[in-house]
Amino acid sequence: MILLEINNRIIEDTLTVKYKNALARLKPESIDVKVADFDGVLFHISNVNGDKTKVRVSISLKFYKQLEEHGADELLKRVYGPLLTEAESGYNISLLLDLENIPDDWEDVVKKVGLLKRNCFASVFERYFRLQEDGDVSHKRAVINYRQDETLYVEAQEDRVTVVFSTVFRHEDDMVIGKVFMQELKEGRRASHTAPQVLFSHKEPPLELMDTDARVGDNISYVTFVLFPRHTCSAARDNTIDLLHMFRDYLHYHIKCSKVYVHSRMRAKAGDLLKVLNRARPQNTSRPTERKTITSVCHTSSSTWKNICEARLSVARRRDVGADHSSAVTSYVLQLTPPLR
Amino acid sequence: MSATLKPYLTAVRHTLTAAMCLEHFSSQVVERYNKPEVEVRTSKELLLNPVVISRNANEKVLIESSINSIRVSIMIKQADEIEKILCKKFMRFMMMRAENFIVLRRKPVDGYHISFLITNFHTEQMFKHKLVDFVIYFMEEIDKEISEMKLAVNARARICSEEFLKRF
Repeated sequence: MILLEINNRIIEDTLTVKYKNALARLKPESIDVKVADFDGVLFHISNVNGDKTKVRVSISLKFYKQLEEHGADELLKRVYGPLLTEAESGYNISLLLDLENIPDDWEDVVKKVGLLKRNCFASVFERYFRLQEDGDVSHKRAVINYRQDETLYVEAQEDRVTVVFSTVFRHEDDMVIGKVFMQELKEGRRASHTAPQVLFSHKEPPLELMDTDARVGDNISYVTFVLFPRHTCSAARDNTIDLLHMFRDYLHYHIKCSKVYVHSRMRAKAGDLLKVLNRARPQNTSRPTERKTITSVCHTSSSTWKNICEARLSVARRRDVGADHSSAVTSYVLQLTPPLR
Repeated sequence: MSATLKPYLTAVRHTLTAAMCLEHFSSQVVERYNKPEVEVRTSKELLLNPVVISRNANEKVLIESSINSIRVSIMIKQADEIEKILCKKFMRFMMMRAENFIVLRRKPVDGYHISFLITNFHTEQMFKHKLVDFVIYFMEEIDKEISEMKLAVNARARICSEEFLKRF
């Protein structure tokens, strides 16, 4: 689980169940599910007008207006085509799935719907990748406020596309761990030669954003990806988009994971130290332990006493085969005389 | 163990053993009152000279002793930002559990990162030499643990960024 999934598993699973039930000719059931995703995205799966065979999947993105400027509508039309329907009120896009005539490739449809959020994001990247391919650098940079206080800038230049993420660390400790991660990202190119160049700046925006109203602050970092044509060509494009749009969540997810790991270590260590401290306490030796003594036999009933005697006698007899029988046995019996009551 | 750590710990061990010579002492000011003198400081004659043992500028131990209690304060080395936050988190974590660690003080003495307060009641209940062992073990482990946690964070960061960039 190092990399996060780009699709939405809940959506996929819900729809798969719906389709499978419909294929098995089970009675359709009503559905009303709300699912949250990264970047404040909200999904809503519901039935249209109470018709249980029509499933509507809606998505709400706070920054959809900005995506629309960069051709999100065309891209969604291209990908989802006939599935698109009038948007539910309060949501930005809605897809309609009909359970009465199921296409043969319904599994692909489910996959596609699961990628709805990714495809919304993809529009910006695709547009600027294409601009760069065409050598059109006149376009001004795209600014997407993908989260509150956090912004994504995409700019096409003659030979590259730069993508800048601004990210806010809510806690100063996160900032420190975040810096470690970003330092490694910067040096991560050694691992792979095909990787894009990554730059990061802390507190202040990078030079190319100097003229914008990019925020300055102690807890803000900017991460710049410099994408060359080998990343933006049509063959590699989808992969690049998949990775980039999850970058912010990926980074923060792993910062949290590190904190969790550190915390679990501290817990283990504290337990260990406590054990050492407790060793300093003298062991309590006067603990009443249950000891078997002959006095406890006094309380056994006479019948158990008899059983014990017989058992011991038989053992004694067997042991003394060939030896002087009677004397050995009698000595045993003498030893086993019941104590006085 | 590095060359300077061993003598440092030995010095601390001997000082602690010598300082941990505590007896029951009722307050001279209030009747039926018994407080660790190293904390309340009611009278000068009950306090002994504090001792500072330092390994270097960032690592030292302050041992303050009095007639019925001693206070051991430890300064833990923090080479960079990440060690600083790890140390801060860890000490906070420990001090929140001070009730379990009977000898731990809830707040460190000014200028130090963690303090222990050992009173005559503790030395009566527990073995003195084992208490000293605990403090020494604590000092050894804390440095080790912080550097290991730092390595773990760094390793995670490296693996994450490599995995991410490999996909391009």
